[in-house]
Amino acid sequence: MSDFSEDLLRPTKEDDPAGRSVRSGSGMRLPWLQKHVESVPTRGKKEKDFAQTTSACLSFIQDALLKHQWQRAAEYMHSYLQTLEDSDSQKRQAAPEMIWKLGSEILYYHPKSSVETFNAFADRMKNIGVMNYLTISLQHTLYLLHHGLLDDASRNLSQAETWRYGEKSSSQEALINLVQAYKGLLQYYTWSKKKKELSELDEDDYAYSTASQNMFSHSWKTSINFSALIQTPGVWDPFVKSYVEMLEFYGDQDGAREVLTNYAYDEKFPSNPNAHVYLYNFLKREKAPREKLISVLKILYQIVPSHKLMLEFHRLLRKSDQEEHRRLGLEVLFGVLDFAGCAKNVTAWQCLAKYLRQILMRSHPAWIQEEWNSRKSWWPGFHFSSFWAKSDWKEDRALAYEKAFVAGILLGKGCKYFRYISKQDHQVLRKKFKRMKKLVKKHSIVNP
Amino acid sequence: MDFPSSLRPALFMTGPLGLSDVPDTSFMCSWRDALTLPESLPQNSENGAPHLAKGLLWEPDTPGPLPLLPPGPDPWDPGLTAQDLLFRGGPKFRRQPQAVLDVTEQVSGPAVDSAVWLELCLMARCPLLPQFSRFLWDHGDIAFSSLGKLMLENFNLEGPRSYSKKKTVVSVKRILEDLGGHQPWGCPWAYFSHRQRRFSILGDPILGKSVSSLLGELLYEELATRWEQLLLDDAFTGGALAWLPGRTPQVRQLVYPAGGALDKLCFQEVRLTPGSDPRILGKPGHIQLRGPVRQVVTCTVQGECKTVNYFPPLLPEPDPDPDLHLLHPSSALLAVRSDYHCALWKVSRQGRPVPLQVLKVEKGATGINLSPHLPGELVVCSRSGAVCLWTPHDGLRQIYKDPETLVFRDPSPWRWADFTAHPRVLTVGDRTGVKIIDTQGPPGCGLLLFRVGAEASCQKGERVLLTQYLGECGPDSLQPTLHLICTQFSLYLMDERLPLVPMLKWDHNLPSAPLLAQLLPPPRPGCARPLLLGGQGGQLQLLHITGEGASTPRLAGHPQSLPSRSDSLSAFPLLEPRSHWQLQERLQAPTIGLAATILPSSSSPVLSLFQLSTAGDVFHQCLHLREDLGPPSDPRPNCCAPTASWSPQATACCRRWLKALLKVPPAPPVWAAPTFSHRHLLGFKEQQKVEGKVPEGLRAAMAQGRLLQQRDLGSLPTTEPPPGPTPGPTDELSERLEAAWEGPVTAWWEQQRDRTSRPGRQLKRPKRRTQLSNTFSSLSSRLDLSGATSAPHSPDWTSPVSRPRSPVALPSQELTQDLWAQGIPSERQQTLRDYMAKLPLQGNTPEGSSTSLSQISSTQATPSTQRTLRDCAAELSSHRDTPGGATLPSSQTSSIWATPSRQQVRILSGSQPHRKKPRMGF
Repeated sequence: MSDFSEDLLRPTKEDDPAGRSVRSGSGMRLPWLQKHVESVPTRGKKEKDFAQTTSACLSFIQDALLKHQWQRAAEYMHSYLQTLEDSDSQKRQAAPEMIWKLGSEILYYHPKSSVETFNAFADRMKNIGVMNYLTISLQHTLYLLHHGLLDDASRNLSQAETWRYGEKSSSQEALINLVQAYKGLLQYYTWSKKKKELSELDEDDYAYSTASQNMFSHSWKTSINFSALIQTPGVWDPFVKSYVEMLEFYGDQDGAREVLTNYAYDEKFPSNPNAHVYLYNFLKREKAPREKLISVLKILYQIVPSHKLMLEFHRLLRKSDQEEHRRLGLEVLFGVLDFAGCAKNVTAWQCLAKYLRQILMRSHPAWIQEEWNSRKSWWPGFHFSSFWAKSDWKEDRALAYEKAFVAGILLGKGCKYFRYISKQDHQVLRKKFKRMKKLVKKHSIVNP
Repeated sequence: MDFPSSLRPALFMTGPLGLSDVPDTSFMCSWRDALTLPESLPQNSENGAPHLAKGLLWEPDTPGPLPLLPPGPDPWDPGLTAQDLLFRGGPKFRRQPQAVLDVTEQVSGPAVDSAVWLELCLMARCPLLPQFSRFLWDHGDIAFSSLGKLMLENFNLEGPRSYSKKKTVVSVKRILEDLGGHQPWGCPWAYFSHRQRRFSILGDPILGKSVSSLLGELLYEELATRWEQLLLDDAFTGGALAWLPGRTPQVRQLVYPAGGALDKLCFQEVRLTPGSDPRILGKPGHIQLRGPVRQVVTCTVQGECKTVNYFPPLLPEPDPDPDLHLLHPSSALLAVRSDYHCALWKVSRQGRPVPLQVLKVEKGATGINLSPHLPGELVVCSRSGAVCLWTPHDGLRQIYKDPETLVFRDPSPWRWADFTAHPRVLTVGDRTGVKIIDTQGPPGCGLLLFRVGAEASCQKGERVLLTQYLGECGPDSLQPTLHLICTQFSLYLMDERLPLVPMLKWDHNLPSAPLLAQLLPPPRPGCARPLLLGGQGGQLQLLHITGEGASTPRLAGHPQSLPSRSDSLSAFPLLEPRSHWQLQERLQAPTIGLAATILPSSSSPVLSLFQLSTAGDVFHQCLHLREDLGPPSDPRPNCCAPTASWSPQATACCRRWLKALLKVPPAPPVWAAPTFSHRHLLGFKEQQKVEGKVPEGLRAAMAQGRLLQQRDLGSLPTTEPPPGPTPGPTDELSERLEAAWEGPVTAWWEQQRDRTSRPGRQLKRPKRRTQLSNTFSSLSSRLDLSGATSAPHSPDWTSPVSRPRSPVALPSQELTQDLWAQGIPSERQQTLRDYMAKLPLQGNTPEGSSTSLSQISSTQATPSTQRTLRDCAAELSSHRDTPGGATLPSSQTSSIWATPSRQQVRILSGSQPHRKKPRMGF
């Protein structure tokens, strides 16, 4: 490639102060820029043959992969390996990663490839671009795991764990932590297998004590493996889950609680709903006080108001002595039903209908009014349209009944949904309908 | 709604790129994504992990898509290309960039960001210099008028003489006199007016610099915009092709813009059957709009629309087209975005789209989307950074406004908004990120769903190009909380319940901007859902996404590419180069719309895919699903997919389409290469005494700007027979040539004849690359003399002696000397000239004027005929006169030239004997 076009394609080269000083341009990098630039004939030097053949080969491989022509891709891959000898240092450095990506993809899908082939390729690639050793090891492990080769995977991870290259960078450290965590996960798998065996054994059996001894030694190793990674911000659901399970098994409740609390409340971590779910489930197992449970679910409610635990949250709040909580219980129910994915949740509608009745009996119509104010502009069209009346009645009578009751309370008996459902003549539900009409008449928040 | 009980491990880094040295753990292998961590130990390790359908592949029925509708009647121009905008010079230009035009000096500095802009700048300096000065000449009124007004007080426009003592006032009358060559003392150089001197001193700093620098800046700006637009044209983000329900489930309607300006919204009924190609039912109904359609969105919510109050239709009534019966069981809403307008229609049982409301967006609309939850609710975003919720009932409600971008500063005014699983919560996106905002909450607050940065392990310079809400709840579908985010490098699936952490990331490697996407329902229950991704350049990718219930969404199998429109080129017959180029350009036109459906079929599901191009072409393709559920170790017999081939029906379809396409007149060229006048050469040569017939003929032809033909030159003593193939007893070459000509050229010939039958359709200026075909067409025109008398003559070229001109308005007739000189190598000019000389003689052949080109070529190829022809030519050359060109030059031409030269031309031409032109058949 001529140095001229190189400049063009790498806009932010160090020797281009004018280009770097001001970011008034878009700063956007477009991968197809090169194609456009190359479509213009140049009077300068042409790209070298080597670069031309390599890039052509790459595009052939990508094309073959996207057409699922694994054999063709493999054939081109054979030639593409020349890119390792590219005179352009930047390309040469990127080559091993590229080859690994393409090669592993081909070997994963190729009908004639076997685990042995893949192993050989991975082992070779690990040592070609030393910088990719850990990444490749991790992916290799996943591959082995996928093929059920736990021992091989574990061996592979052990090798990677001890690997060091140059100065220990933060990137290397994060990867080593990840390697260790995966190792811990593998150990967890063995552990849970043993636990299962143990549960099948008789406690008086001789084998029992050796098995339990084995398990204890595992636990000790595993906790070291997990703990480093779990401190790093990220999504570590499988690791946290297995770690906590092991800690709980050995009675380290405080340790488990600490891990989970940290995972859920550390600011540096993404707001992962599962972290709160795990904490809640742990506290529930621990039979923690209701207040504690409510405070955990309150945060989950703020993150994911549509979570299926919200109905459980509602039940907790309903039973609470505090008026504030009971009020929140209504808010939670309304919040769940706001979501399109929950609109057909019979339980939620049932809860709402029941709770509305309860609240009205206790004469707190203001609570309902407040929740309803922000929704009255769109709930009628969203939930209580005549289309839904027809389709709900056809699909799920129980749902239609609960919704009709809620509609009647919130919108009055003149509402389309209520009218349509209450007009349906159904023998079984007749008595129920009568009661519903009476209740609506009595309690509807809409002034006649 | 279920949340995945266990998410895939991922590192989470916050902040902009490059701050932390953290590895990218999303390794970007599709297979890696397929591997889920087992919840617990895989019990039976042989097949513990679920084997995914690895061989999920949609096989195209044909190697490329086929045209569904005939091409529109309007010409289409592909617009600017990189070749038009970029200039790649040798290193010489780079080393001394500041040499040529100081116009762009101020532009080159701070405004330039990357070297590409620098390059544009270079281009503005060097090769555009002649064009720029030409612009100043040709449009002086535009370039200088405002300056003239500013300097009015320094000029005395009328009156004989200003007695002002101010030396800064110049009398224009005198200056004009001076400039006009008024020479009171005879010698032009003896007197240099002090007025001129003063004028130059006064005017130079202003006229010389400010005009050109101002214009240069504008020019640079324009070039930069064009170049940006060429690289990424976000106007069509989202796509302008959509489905509307039809009368029956099989019959649907395609909504798409048509017409040269894409301002005609068409409704075409299409019957889709799994077994066969889609059938078009009747003619499309259409609505004429006042701007180009950029985005078309349709939505059916709750099977019906709310009854909307009457709103006065602001758009012209739809055409009373009897074919437009939009009878269908349910109604749908149709939203259309133009550059500065958005409009909403209800397509209801009445069968005709009812306009509901039109919205004017002052700053320009960038995106529109219909709510999947509430009927008749839309979200519109504008370049000003405002996002509005729009319902025909309640009008507009601004819910978000921020002229700045979300995460970091980006100059692009592109904004996008879409809905989420909560009907009152929206996503607002720009190039730097996507935010979730609650329309009921306090304004301005929200949560970032996606940001271009370390969180998603973005690359440097990565920007959001498209965001789309993929929600759709159903028992067998993905989570209804997923959002698709496309950048120029990757595709991300985000769950709105877990912001900032991508659920899935895939490097799409598309060679153009992915501005179109569509998630399709699963082809059969339990199968992965296809996600179509369309690049602006026509490339298509299909991803298979699984992940129902409590599992994370992931790729099932390797994504596949689908054939693009340019893959269909092989289905078309072979064409002469010019038409071939035209076809190729048409097929490579950017894709601006994508619509697909899955037709359930007993054997295998069929994916019916429609795509729309900027040229207004709708292409269609059918794909069949092939599934291989075998374990990975099983060697499959058919590891290579069988390649599809063109069926006779497909090629026939393409042929028909091509025929219609070639009938469409080509667009008038926006720009043609500057030609150089030859006339000054004429004047220059005037002094020399001309001798001989050949130079005279040449001169006459030049004066007229006419094609030089042999008969103009009389018999040339040096005429050599063209070096043809040595005639042998069996001439294989000529036989092969004959065969070649008879096949594909027939189509071209028919097209030529069609063009012949329509007089008055002129090509303004030929392009260089069409020279060869022009030569041929000139040949054919000369043969087709039957209609010669009624031929329309363009005034410029009319001669008193009626030269038999062809009615075919062909560029070749304007083939001027410079083309002779430039395009054709000198050694071939003679050959061509000989050809020219010979061709009128075809009238002598028994076939007469109706001889087709193929016949001629065959006759010429046979040696005996050639001999006769040559003899005839020798005989007749003495009778031939100089053509009508040897008459007065046209008034236009003469007016330009100074008197003496014109006179001389007249004399010269007058000295030629006028003889009657030989008429047809001599």
